[in-house]
Amino acid sequence: MIRFWQKRFGEGLKTESLEFDRELEDIRKELKSIVKKRFASSLAIRMVDSGSCNACEAECSALSNPYYNLERLGIYFVASPRHADILLVSGVNTFNMQPHLLNAYEQLPAPKWVVTLGDCPIKKSFAIKGEIDKILPVSYHIKGCPPEPKDIIKGLLDFLRQI
Amino acid sequence: MRLVARFGLEEDKAIKVYSCFMKKDGEVVFEKESENFKSLSAKYPTAIWFERKIRDDFGIEFEGSFDNRPLYKHERFPKSIYPLKKEFQDSDIEYSKFEPYEYESIKGDGVFEVAVGPIHAGIIEPGHFQFSQEGESILHLEVRHFYKYRAIEKIVEGKKPLEAFRTIERISGNESLAYQKAYYKILLQASKKDENADIKRYNSLLLEIERLIHHLIDLGFIPNDAGFGAALSFCSQKSEELRRVLKEITGSRFGFGSIRGEAKKVDKERILNFLDNLKNDIEWFREWINDIPSLWDRLDTTGILKTKNALKYSCVGVVGRASGLKEDVRSRDDFYKEIGFVLQREKSGDVAARFKLRIKEALNSIEMMRKLIDYSDKKISFNGFSDGEYCAFVESSIGELFIFVKIKEGVIDRFYARDPSFISWQALHLMMSGNIIADFPLINKSCDLSYAGSDL
Repeated sequence: MIRFWQKRFGEGLKTESLEFDRELEDIRKELKSIVKKRFASSLAIRMVDSGSCNACEAECSALSNPYYNLERLGIYFVASPRHADILLVSGVNTFNMQPHLLNAYEQLPAPKWVVTLGDCPIKKSFAIKGEIDKILPVSYHIKGCPPEPKDIIKGLLDFLRQI
Repeated sequence: MRLVARFGLEEDKAIKVYSCFMKKDGEVVFEKESENFKSLSAKYPTAIWFERKIRDDFGIEFEGSFDNRPLYKHERFPKSIYPLKKEFQDSDIEYSKFEPYEYESIKGDGVFEVAVGPIHAGIIEPGHFQFSQEGESILHLEVRHFYKYRAIEKIVEGKKPLEAFRTIERISGNESLAYQKAYYKILLQASKKDENADIKRYNSLLLEIERLIHHLIDLGFIPNDAGFGAALSFCSQKSEELRRVLKEITGSRFGFGSIRGEAKKVDKERILNFLDNLKNDIEWFREWINDIPSLWDRLDTTGILKTKNALKYSCVGVVGRASGLKEDVRSRDDFYKEIGFVLQREKSGDVAARFKLRIKEALNSIEMMRKLIDYSDKKISFNGFSDGEYCAFVESSIGELFIFVKIKEGVIDRFYARDPSFISWQALHLMMSGNIIADFPLINKSCDLSYAGSDL
């Protein structure tokens, strides 16, 4: 274990200052003032994949690595839709997944929002039921195929400003 | 002979079933049947999913088949349509009446079932696992997937060979480069071109980066699932650095659009330097993690896949090699031997074996990358593809990927991809006996199979 702590102090802090980190300070204040009543200063996200290629999920997992460390902003990925404020949906809404996606949305306590992630180029097929915004009220869309971790953070902050 | 894949295709309104086998010396054998289809599931248990898929695709029955349940046609999927028949051209289908799916389950006093998924507690793809439990012990597991069924085979049909790249590289994001490489190999065959040595080096370099990223992520997630989060912080940091290198070389963090018959320049010195540091880090990680007995207590003897079972289930990739099999596409290519490829194996077949195998393969990948980086930039272009049937094998980060393409009148007539996960998912239940349900996430993560790749 001593070796671990030696390495740990040798490495130092890895979390980066993203170019919009300065904005973060203001947004944190916004988070505190405007959203405090709704989110109690923390935002819980439930991620549901409805037919993506797994790249969007990999980028969302990357958000918790030491370089981005999303939790420093008080944004968490939670294990159940019932704990969540936001449903983050990636992928193309496949025929087999649509009923389960709608079910997950039902389980979110109100007030709730839907944010979509990624622009899949695989769009047209009989087994794809079309855009998510046709079946769910989508509040925000994060662009990219796949969106990079910093795009996702920026998108989430943008979304928080809007509501 | 090992079963590689079994799939159907329509030719002049008749359905044919192709079975692809591989002999011990690496020779590929195709068996083509056009009538009296017989089930292979008694000899090759993994034939079950292939046959269920062909039944869903074309509506043909197999003699002697003991599992006739639909595979990707879920409860409300219309059972009367056969999507891969040429006559089926609908762009939209409607939900039909709910028909319950009969799960494999064990019945008895005190035996109960646990249903998990398709939406899991984490950032993960959708899939369903049905456990039969006796208290904490798992009696049986049935894996049920295909929630992400996008009908890739049908999407690609009718496309010009070069147009299909964009769809094929997005079948599975974790293996995108392997899919591109396999399809690129097919295009080379179809245009009767030899592989350019420089481009081959460049492509193999990218493939090894992809494999290394995948291994590093798993090396973090496996201990994390056993409650040791520090490993995840360390490994996810390394995989992030490597993803950035991949972006620097290809312009995409997943290598989308990078295997197209072109070798781009890289900053060799910087990458060699980076690889040196990464090698030291992985070696440090190995020493550090070896020193934590409470972790190995969870990894050792958990989720054992015995060698004879791995052989019976035609296992490939990390799952097969951790159980002592010698299946690796790279070992059949002299090019890889020249650059220092050594086939890595473990014998015990448990989570610890898969974990140790990943460390060994990661270190071997770094060795190869140091030699692969020696190439000069080149570009080739394709002109015209001749009709015919082609197949290609590539070792992805999960295992042996097989792609079959039939080109007819200049467009793709049939595309089929057998992801290594399609085989390994079927062997997953064998790892469950004697384990408790709390160890399932650990076992599942140690195999780290793709859902999107096997769902298609």
